[in-house]
Amino acid sequence: MAQATQQTDANADESGLVDLSQSWVRELIAGGTFALPYLLIAGTFLFGPLLLALYMSLHDWNALDPAQSQFIGFENYQVLLSDPDFWNALRNTVYFVVLTVPPIVVGSLFLALGVNRDVKGQWLLRTIFFSPYVLTVAVVGLLWTEIFSASGLVPYYVGGGNWLTSHSLAMPAIAIATIWWQLAFNFIILLAARQNVSDRLYEAAKLDGASTWRMMRDITIPQMQNPLIFVVIVTFVGSFQVFGQPFIMTNGGPSFSTTTIVLYLYDTAFTGRQFGYAAAVGYVLFMILIAVSATSYYFLGGDNR
Amino acid sequence: MSVESRGLFDDLSLTNDRLRTIALYAGLYGMAFLFLIPYWYMFATSFMTRDLVYSEVPYLIPWEMTLYWYDYLLTNSLIVQWTVNTLILAGVTTVVVVLIDAMIAYSLTRLDWPGRRAIFAVIVASFMVPGIVNLVPVYIIVSELGLVNSVWGVVLPSAANPLGVFMLVQFFKDIPEELEEAARLDGFSRLRIFTHIVLPLMRSALAALGLFIFIWTWNAFVWPLLIFQNDAMYTLPIGLVTLQDNLGVTEPGVIMTSAVVASVPLLLVFLVMQKHLVRAVEMQGTTK
Repeated sequence: MAQATQQTDANADESGLVDLSQSWVRELIAGGTFALPYLLIAGTFLFGPLLLALYMSLHDWNALDPAQSQFIGFENYQVLLSDPDFWNALRNTVYFVVLTVPPIVVGSLFLALGVNRDVKGQWLLRTIFFSPYVLTVAVVGLLWTEIFSASGLVPYYVGGGNWLTSHSLAMPAIAIATIWWQLAFNFIILLAARQNVSDRLYEAAKLDGASTWRMMRDITIPQMQNPLIFVVIVTFVGSFQVFGQPFIMTNGGPSFSTTTIVLYLYDTAFTGRQFGYAAAVGYVLFMILIAVSATSYYFLGGDNR
Repeated sequence: MSVESRGLFDDLSLTNDRLRTIALYAGLYGMAFLFLIPYWYMFATSFMTRDLVYSEVPYLIPWEMTLYWYDYLLTNSLIVQWTVNTLILAGVTTVVVVLIDAMIAYSLTRLDWPGRRAIFAVIVASFMVPGIVNLVPVYIIVSELGLVNSVWGVVLPSAANPLGVFMLVQFFKDIPEELEEAARLDGFSRLRIFTHIVLPLMRSALAALGLFIFIWTWNAFVWPLLIFQNDAMYTLPIGLVTLQDNLGVTEPGVIMTSAVVASVPLLLVFLVMQKHLVRAVEMQGTTK
């Protein structure tokens, strides 16, 4: 087919008149053929499920025989709103977000700005700060479980006993592991963003006698605004969806103090087999994430300065 | 610009220049040191004798070294099998994702068909969808298709990667028109233009995406956890986590050693291909 196509195309390109309607059809066929594998897979495993999730969330879903599922409207959502376990999970998740997002954003910004300075061993520092990026959450979780466990480094040198069995210390422990792991991605994004800021701006400011602090406030931060918004939103969205770390390090304990929304969703779905309810939890999380992204975008003034 | 700030800070900053440099180095290298401690602890513990591992003091230096834990893992777990599984899974996914994403990116940028803009907009919007919303329905679809316990059950749900499409579209846009035009006049088919001109030209962007997908799949946790239900099929991340339960009491020596085995291949890939990976991450940063 493609062999036959090129002849007419060549003609059409030259005269601009020959067989316009046919070349339009050919472009569609060729374009469609190249796009088809992606569209098929995305339809089956991305867009289809999104609709299915909505459909499921409106049903009392029968896991064994979906045909037996009952339509119940918004009942799953109503139940969810008065479900103390859901609120507990939401509270834990927000706590985790508060513990992780500011340190990750501010920390990666400072490391990026610092490494960008004319320091010796720049390559080494960049490698070290970026390296946790290639670790799986399983390694991160297990490694830090050992560090926080009763015989681990942290209780010995910092104190607090086994952090992961402590009601008040388990979540901070998970947050520390997460910060160590997730700083890397943001660090690289911000380092690249900083390197894209024109040196001329700083030269001009220096001639004016601006202080380092002032240059940071008036040049660096405004110039890096969009990458910063990206980093804030990505970190927010990532932290709201935390799963692996609490799953591995505490399995939600002690006494549900580290059960996050996704962990709760996972348990309801795959232990409790309440698929419809879990789908509703998923949709609520989705709406929260959209709201959070929109709010941070709005407050950080994306694209409109 | 800053007349008033000049008087305030000028003298101060000059006299403090040295102090600042010292603080900068101390801050950066101090952080780097803190960052390295977990790695060091992991490697050190994996070579410690049982006595050292279980001592009251958490030692950081294995002054009595042994390969006992490595030996133990190799004979008592399927860790070699898991490594092979992970390698296959990551390899297959990488090839599939890069190919599929490159095809649609080519179609969206270099072919002119009605509706492509709308489709691109939908794809861009779709990376706002958190994977977790789809956890339950995708699991149902995968099990309906009979793909539970199959490699494809993990590969297919991650095969249509919107981020990859977006990254590649930015690059495909920049291929010069003339090149393609000339190829068409020479009688190249679309398929041949794609395989002989576009793909070779975009090698470095494809390599960056491929590396990113490889690492991402190697580390994938939630999907393999749901899909692979017998231990001969586990990937390394899943295997590691189940080791805790399967070998009875959690043995720090075993855990740390398995963590070393799971992360060393990627840390080596990272050291060798760092440039490409940094590029892949930077590409993501420019996607919004």
